Amino acid sequence: MIYRLFHILDKKLKFNTAKAHCDIPCGIYDPITAQIAALTTVRMIDLITDLENKHTEHNSEYVNSLSRYVAIKEEHAEKAKHDIRVIWGDYIKAPHLEKHPEIPALVHKIMQLGSKVRQTVDRESAVQFVEAINQFAEIFWETKGLTTKRAKAPYGPALEFVYPNL
Amino acid sequence: MILGVIKVTGNSLSPEYNDGDFVLIAKIPCFLFNAKAGDIVVFEHPVYGQLIKKVDAVLEQGDKIFVTGNHEQSIDSRHFGAISKHAIIGKVIWHIKKPAS
Repeated sequence: MIYRLFHILDKKLKFNTAKAHCDIPCGIYDPITAQIAALTTVRMIDLITDLENKHTEHNSEYVNSLSRYVAIKEEHAEKAKHDIRVIWGDYIKAPHLEKHPEIPALVHKIMQLGSKVRQTVDRESAVQFVEAINQFAEIFWETKGLTTKRAKAPYGPALEFVYPNL
Repeated sequence: MILGVIKVTGNSLSPEYNDGDFVLIAKIPCFLFNAKAGDIVVFEHPVYGQLIKKVDAVLEQGDKIFVTGNHEQSIDSRHFGAISKHAIIGKVIWHIKKPAS
């Protein structure tokens, strides 16, 4: 009854609003997208290496495949960096940093490795990229109160992934 | 003391305060206002505009106030730091809940 009265007054007078603001979409964060994107860069480096070994002649077929692998490597390295930046910027808060003071250095390392993966075909850097994001995932799930496990990704290259124990 | 009616938007204070609720606020001059933990306050933020949050703690002899929502995703002092006492527009003194539909 009282609410209805205020509701009618609001229609007439347009009361000011105060936002009980949330960061939309309210908590859907998961580092797995970054982990998959980073693993994809390792896969692309493997495909580039295979291609180089198979083709002695650099014909149009070779150039086409190489261009596609490089483009996907670029895209997924950037996607992994982007997805980590979103969690870092939107989810990680001061209490998380107090508990895990290593997060800023780890995020910086991920950014640097992601750039190196774009610039080169150094497989070791790409593997380190996956591992650094795994470490980020372990911290992320810990902040959610979940333990984690390590298991090989069910697709090639079968590197270890960190998964939450749900 | 001047009164004002404010409509709540968003859900960071749910389940206590929900989107569409109304609140009556007392606009108390800041030198007279002694915020305490648990107060629900409306304040102006330079980036996010007019916000409604709960006082979590009063710092620096009452000049800075740490405000929070009820959820991890709430944009509040955990994100933008403690607010100045001068930013507070008023304190909630009456809550008119939106009936469950």
